[in-house]
Amino acid sequence: MNMKKAVHKITITTTEVVVDGKPLDVTCLGSNIFTELYRKYVNDYPKYFKMDILCKLGFIATELLLQTEGKVRFEPCEDRAVVFFNRSSSLHADKSFESNICNRESFYPSPAMFVYTLPNIVTGEIAIRNKYYGETNFIVIEKRDEDVLENIIDGVFTDNMTTSVVTGWLEAESEEEFNAEIYIIEK
Amino acid sequence: MELKEELKGKIIDALNLEDIVVTDLEDDAPLFGEDGLGLDSIDALELIVLLEKNYGIKISDPKEGKNIFKSVNVMADYVEKNRKK
Repeated sequence: MNMKKAVHKITITTTEVVVDGKPLDVTCLGSNIFTELYRKYVNDYPKYFKMDILCKLGFIATELLLQTEGKVRFEPCEDRAVVFFNRSSSLHADKSFESNICNRESFYPSPAMFVYTLPNIVTGEIAIRNKYYGETNFIVIEKRDEDVLENIIDGVFTDNMTTSVVTGWLEAESEEEFNAEIYIIEK
Repeated sequence: MELKEELKGKIIDALNLEDIVVTDLEDDAPLFGEDGLGLDSIDALELIVLLEKNYGIKISDPKEGKNIFKSVNVMADYVEKNRKK
C-alpha cells in the first residue's frame, strides 16, 4: 500500500506561479520572474545572484514551497531528502560556459560559471541553506514518466531515515523555456 | 579612474554582487571572512581570473590569493607592482 502523500505543490512556468492551487501575483515574464520572487519573498541570500537559471528556478520554487509549509527552518534535519528530475540536465549553463571558453585569444574560463555545469548543484544549494542532511540527488532522464519518478521516490523512502522529500520536475532549457513542478512528499 | 575604484567595479561585476555598489566597498575592509562580503572559494578563483584577464597577472598557487585578496588596498598594491597590462 502506498502511504506517501504530496502535502504541498508549486508550479512555476514562464507566465505563472501557483502554490497549492493559488496563483501568486507576478508582473515579470520569463526568467525575470525569479528575481521578482526573490526580492519579494526571500531577499536574504545574495548567493542567489550567482546562480544559473536552473539553480534559480529550483531555489525559488523550494523557498516558496517551504514558506508555505511553515515549519521551523534552518535547523539540522536528517530526515528530509531533495531529489529533482529533468531532461536537459544543466544544458543552459553548459552552453554559457562553452561560449565563455570558445575564444582562444581571450581564454578565461569562469570558475563561477563552471560550477553550474552540474545539475545537482541546485540540490546541494537547497540542502546547504536548509541544513538538510538527507539524500540529495538530481536525476536526468530521457522523458518525464510519472511511474519512473514514483519508483525512484519510493526508493528514497526505503533508507529508514527519510520521512519527507522535496521533489519534482525542474527544467530550464533557456531564459524563456523553463518549468518547475515541485512537491513536498511525506511518508 | 583610480585603480582602487576600478578594481571595486570589476570585483562587483565579476562576483555578481548585485546589492553592492562601489561606494559600499571600503578600501581597507576585508573581502573574505565573517566581516567581509561573504565570499567563498569560487569567488577567490574568480578574482584570480579577474587579475589575469585585466592585468595579465598569473597566480599559479591559489593559496597566494589569501594574502592578495585581503582588501581592496592590498589588492591594488599588488596589481600596481605586478601588472603586465
